[in-house]
Amino acid sequence: MSKPKISSDWMCGCAGCHMSLLDMDERILQVAELADIRATPITDLKEPDEGGVDVGVLEGGINNTANEEVAHRMRKRCKILVSLGDCAVFGGVPAMRNFLPLEESLRRAYVEAESNDSECKIPSDPELATMTKVRAIHEVVPVDVFVPGCPPDPDVIFYVLSELAQGRKPELTGDLLHWH
Amino acid sequence: MVNVTIDGKSIQIAEGTTVLRAAEQAGVNIPVLCDHPHLVPFGGCRLCVVDVEGMRTLQPACSLPVSNNMVVHTNTEKVLAARKFVLTLIFSDRNHFCPYCQVSGGDCELQNAALDLGMTHWEYQPNWKPYPVDASHPYLVLDHNRCILCRRCVRACSELVGNSTLGVEERGASSMLVCDVGVPFGESSCISCGTCSQVCPTGAIIDRRSAYQGLDKKVTRTASICVGCSVGCGIEVLTRDNRLVRILGRWDAPVNEGIVCKQGRFLPLDEERARIATPLVKKDGKQVAASWDEALQVAAAGLTPLVGKNGSGVAAVTSDRLTVESLAAFKKLFKDGFHSDMVTTLGDGEGVAVAADVAAELGAFSGSLESLASADCVVVMGVDLTAEEQVVGFMVKRILQSKTALVVIDSEENGLAPFSHVMIKMAAGAEKATLEAVQKALKDGSAADEEVKHAAALISKATHPVFVYGKRLNSAALKTAVELAKSVNGSLVGSLTGANSLAAAQLGLGKTFKLNGHQAVFVALGDDTPSQQFVQSVEKAPFLVVQASHVSRLTAVADVVLPVEMWAETSGHYLNLEGRLQESVAALKPAGEVISSLEALKALAAKVGLSADADWQAEITAKTSPVQLTLA
Amino acid sequence: MTMVAEKITIEPVTRIEGHAKVTIHMGDDGKVKHAYFHVNEFRGFEKFCEGRMVFEMPYITPRICGICPVSHHLAAAKAGDIVMGCPPPRPASLLRELMHMGQIVQSHGMHFFELAGPDLLLGFDADPAVRNVLGLASVNPELAVSAVGLRKWGQTIISILGGKRIHPNFAVPGGVNKALNAADRDAMLKDIDASIATIQTGIDVMRGWAEANMEDINKFAVFQTGYFGLISPDNGLELYDGDIRLIVNSGAQMERFSAQNYLDIIAEHTEDWSYLKFPYYKNLGWPKGVYRVGPLGRLNIADKVGTPLASVEFKRFKSLNNGRPVENTLYYHYARMIECLFAAERVRELLEDPDIMSTDILNTRMDIQGEGVGVIEAPRGTLLHHYKTDGTGKLEKVNLIVSTGHNNWAMSEAVDSVAKTYIQGPKVTEGMLNRVEAAIRAYDPCLSCSTHAVGQMPMVVDVYDPEGNITQTVSRGL
Repeated sequence: MSKPKISSDWMCGCAGCHMSLLDMDERILQVAELADIRATPITDLKEPDEGGVDVGVLEGGINNTANEEVAHRMRKRCKILVSLGDCAVFGGVPAMRNFLPLEESLRRAYVEAESNDSECKIPSDPELATMTKVRAIHEVVPVDVFVPGCPPDPDVIFYVLSELAQGRKPELTGDLLHWH
Repeated sequence: MVNVTIDGKSIQIAEGTTVLRAAEQAGVNIPVLCDHPHLVPFGGCRLCVVDVEGMRTLQPACSLPVSNNMVVHTNTEKVLAARKFVLTLIFSDRNHFCPYCQVSGGDCELQNAALDLGMTHWEYQPNWKPYPVDASHPYLVLDHNRCILCRRCVRACSELVGNSTLGVEERGASSMLVCDVGVPFGESSCISCGTCSQVCPTGAIIDRRSAYQGLDKKVTRTASICVGCSVGCGIEVLTRDNRLVRILGRWDAPVNEGIVCKQGRFLPLDEERARIATPLVKKDGKQVAASWDEALQVAAAGLTPLVGKNGSGVAAVTSDRLTVESLAAFKKLFKDGFHSDMVTTLGDGEGVAVAADVAAELGAFSGSLESLASADCVVVMGVDLTAEEQVVGFMVKRILQSKTALVVIDSEENGLAPFSHVMIKMAAGAEKATLEAVQKALKDGSAADEEVKHAAALISKATHPVFVYGKRLNSAALKTAVELAKSVNGSLVGSLTGANSLAAAQLGLGKTFKLNGHQAVFVALGDDTPSQQFVQSVEKAPFLVVQASHVSRLTAVADVVLPVEMWAETSGHYLNLEGRLQESVAALKPAGEVISSLEALKALAAKVGLSADADWQAEITAKTSPVQLTLA
Repeated sequence: MTMVAEKITIEPVTRIEGHAKVTIHMGDDGKVKHAYFHVNEFRGFEKFCEGRMVFEMPYITPRICGICPVSHHLAAAKAGDIVMGCPPPRPASLLRELMHMGQIVQSHGMHFFELAGPDLLLGFDADPAVRNVLGLASVNPELAVSAVGLRKWGQTIISILGGKRIHPNFAVPGGVNKALNAADRDAMLKDIDASIATIQTGIDVMRGWAEANMEDINKFAVFQTGYFGLISPDNGLELYDGDIRLIVNSGAQMERFSAQNYLDIIAEHTEDWSYLKFPYYKNLGWPKGVYRVGPLGRLNIADKVGTPLASVEFKRFKSLNNGRPVENTLYYHYARMIECLFAAERVRELLEDPDIMSTDILNTRMDIQGEGVGVIEAPRGTLLHHYKTDGTGKLEKVNLIVSTGHNNWAMSEAVDSVAKTYIQGPKVTEGMLNRVEAAIRAYDPCLSCSTHAVGQMPMVVDVYDPEGNITQTVSRGL
């Protein structure tokens, strides 16, 4: 039997959850034994396999159209979708942007900021993603496993990935469940 | 007693007990948010819902009284689902960003409740309406985003502190915590006792100083007492790495049952005075660091020749905030050793000296604070309980809501006056006459003064009047007050000023300080701040030895400075205004060459060839106290 | 059918921190017309932090970036020190610097071995399916295990002080909340020699690679800019605190100033095609005043390095361009490992300082000033947090200039330059595109930080002709 495939991506977060994944230290090699690690932001494949992966892991909330695409693509191509970290699960700190109209945030950064020169303006090139409200992943696509934490502790990530790699659904209770 | 079965455990419990308290007795844990054991049940959050056989819907355990043969289930799937739903709604109501909240990770009861229920996420997102952060208060920050409207703070402010600054305006989803009629927290009637921050289950009321200083699991907790005044409130001193992080009122302390005032909770954290780390001696007009031995030598050289010289010898003054052990050693050394005629306390130990005088004549007359709980009329005489012994003030204010009458009799402005039913203000010195007038009015209903007549009417109506007396009564007035109280079967409670004023008085350290012809002055200052007046009165002394924890104008003019511990570093006993002997427990270790006041006194005694060893328990019980002492 | 491509998109850019994409616009001649480096996300921390308390910022702003959260944690605390008027006692500054050195080690170490390493050790043209740290582990397991150990050591320093590896709880305005005890100190010292050995192995790898690939080094995004960063009082390499030094490409010092005055010296420019702003030196104006920060920038502005082993390597670095600033983008990796060595040695110095275990770690005397700038050298360059508060310490304005921002022009230039150097139509290979990504990767951009936003390159690159038809598909190893 071939090893289950795992793919991951990050969206509106800080990369801290993926860093916490690296903080499994040597255990990352154990995970690599159990599973086939495919496209991730720290490997060079750009997208989860078109043929599908067993486990898709997403870090970060969804705050623009590009992230929406990432989330939909991952959902479509994975059997089990894991929402990793507080931003993915709740929206997290970046969701504080939802308190304000987008325009105000943009104006502060690109017009009003003390260090801006007089020619500064809000970028609007079509290559840039269109911003949306910041949403938790399950507001956009169905999620199978929620792993909160800012970031989730490496022990939690190891537990979740190794359970999933062995075909079991992880149950987060006790020390494995934290939100901070 | 009734029979109740909770999760299969049958217990017998008093009728009227709530299901929540019954469950506690049965050893069954029911999660709560709005409930607090020291507050009246509110039934607002619904986290404590339980399934009661025979009842159609789930019931809040915190406010449902038990009935005979009631069968309760606290852990069914239906109950757990309801609790999750309750939390889901709470999380969707305001904005909870756990990652950066200072209570996240163990100190948030809301988060803990969610984790206990195994919540990995919440179904409904908030509507992202931002709520204000009120940072106008010097000690507290009120973040409405994290408020769950449990009203613990509101109830504590009114039920425990009697201040009623906090309230809730509007209804339902528009409900908002407000200060007074909607003014900023810092401009409100808040008296900064901080009880709200102690009961807040989330990070909505942040104590600025302790924020991010370490969660509960990171700090060391030391159960001790406050030595700010003669109430002697039980406190918990939270420290980390030998640093003061936070002070909390101890719920299990018999004196204060959780509440403390600003002086106890916040002011000790605002300490800005510089510490004295090594002994100092004056050389060529300048203070220089010295070893203990050298400093004691210099002190002894100045003091030894004065042994036995009454009147022109050494005058010794101590803070009345030192431990009984230190006070007794101080007395032993200077009264019995040096035979000084001026061995006394700093500042105003006068109140307690008056009480001691009256006790000598009438025996113990003063009682415990417990009497306030059942008071239906309180007469406050000669003390402003909003400035001194504030916790007694809270205890008075909080019972006013239950129709207790308040009479204030004082010669000065009194912060309780606005809460009083009658305020009798008289000229200083006329206290005795006023109290006599009240007594007369009580007897025959006649009085020239309407206020006096009104006061007498309130007192006579009461079944349990309590008289609180303070330092502005002289002994004649206090004697009258005692007689007045006795005549109506009332209780007396004294405001005795310093944390250990009563012990000092029992040791006979009650004189008014005068330098007169004394050739040297020894001051056991501890961590007190000397008044300008006191400094002026001793700076002309030919030789001045000060043992103190912090740099002050007094230490600056001393010939010898001996560095000693501050309150949080010292262990020892205190007698509170109820005569209750309590122990202050060191929460911090002193740095440098600092030793305790007691050790310093003993070291000095050894150097001058005298003794500072005293049997303090025998000493404080040697004479009649104004209040029955409880030494157990 | 014409074989001329119009536009190539690389999205997401991988093995960088955050989301970015690159678009390569082809000319009719089959050559690259221009390549753009887009940071296509924006988060808006500056705005939504308004109204929060300044003492919360060391806990909010690390959520900008999970790779160098300590930089934001400390820059925010340093800004808080000034805003609240409570300068930290010396032991607190030492402990903050210690945590920062832990971060420099873990971040530089991870970048070199885990993110850039696959290019250097497996090759730009290696199969993308294995061109990653796990691929590295199968080729050179011993090195991979050492690299994991190096990051672990740096992260351990952070977690001992701050309770956790990522988003620690440690610094507060006025100091830190935890003192160091002997057991903790010994735990940090335990793996220091092994870590230094790993860093030195990394330096050997880099030097060996450079010798073998001198042609790449010399044609891969080599250009002139100014350089910018903190400097020690005696002009040595400085990562924690001090004045900022700005030099021009000749090596001449133009400015030496306190971060409090940053607005007098630098300004920011915007381009329509990126959410990341472009800081520049005001006196020279845009775009003449562009400069680079980060490891290469810091070694270029420094006259020396204060620790023995790193100092030896620094002299070797300085000789690369005969004492003048080193301009080769690929030498960022070399500079990074020299700094990593410095940081590891600095850990030892700090742990041997007699004040390091003092409990005098917090100044609680507050005197709210209402405005302040916190500065630190994040792994990727100078980080500035500028706060204005009301009299209660509540934030009214927040301005953040993050490390990667300073390098924005340089990264854009590098992307364009590398695309023009290596991409020769009509046949575009995956390896060519990977080199474009490597140009960005050399700067180790922290795009989370940059937009207080995060970036990303697709697995499949489609090359379009001017009519919009796909002329070629470059797939990544499937």
